[in-house]
Amino acid sequence: MTLSFFDQFMSPTLLGIPLIALALTLPWVLFPQPSTRWMNNRLLTLQNWFISRFTQQIFQPINLPGHKWALILTSLMLFLISLNMLGLLPYTFTPTTQLSLNMALAVPLWLATVIIGMRTQPTHALGHLLPEGTPTLLIPVLIIIETISLFIRPLALGVRLTANLTAGHLLIQLIATAAFVLLPIMPTTAILTSILLLLLTLLEVAVAMIQAYVFVLLLSLYLQENV
Amino acid sequence: MGGHDAGSQHQFTGIARYFNSYTITGRRNCVLATYASLAAIFLFFKLKPKKQPAVTDK
Repeated sequence: MTLSFFDQFMSPTLLGIPLIALALTLPWVLFPQPSTRWMNNRLLTLQNWFISRFTQQIFQPINLPGHKWALILTSLMLFLISLNMLGLLPYTFTPTTQLSLNMALAVPLWLATVIIGMRTQPTHALGHLLPEGTPTLLIPVLIIIETISLFIRPLALGVRLTANLTAGHLLIQLIATAAFVLLPIMPTTAILTSILLLLLTLLEVAVAMIQAYVFVLLLSLYLQENV
Repeated sequence: MGGHDAGSQHQFTGIARYFNSYTITGRRNCVLATYASLAAIFLFFKLKPKKQPAVTDK
């Protein structure tokens, strides 16, 4: 079976059964369950520290009514960061390279923030579509631009995550193939390509974490505007 | 982004009292007026009767 460069992004199936559900639930087993002990082990302590620090950081600028989003945003962050990091292992499938998944995460959450804003404080939600101090002649233009940017938000959220992860995985595969092919022909170039591959992999580890954080951060900013 | 404007020091008169880009209600009214205008323009062109080309006997 000849593999192409895009086979790694195909949603895996086994005898017609989609395995993406398995890929999505795998991170669940990797997180230890919080216990009722007074002093936990190192892993659990680290996990608890990270979760509470992250939640504190994200929700510090948000008003109190927005704090009920803490559970969903923090769990979304853990979900995305674990999916992205696991995808960097060889021969693993990364669900966040699928636009359908990222749009399914971005659109409902963005829409929820907009609806909450329109229901609880419609004046403020509509007022945000015109920046303060705009010159009179620019008012209609800017309102149209801000409305377009409002509707572009879920698209940008989903596509940003998809594009970053897909591009990263594709680059890794391309450079790895180049290093492998060059090894018998030009060993020195192959070694340089391998060093480049190592640096790229380190970059992709950073990108995996940053993209998950950016996704959740932007959602928290949209929530901040509307709550 | 999440802050509230200090529109209390502005003293607007006339139409600027309702449509300005400084107070939150002024901004809201501008937004609603723009949306209403766009809807009106859209409806105008949608409901405009299409001119039938004149039929001439040859």
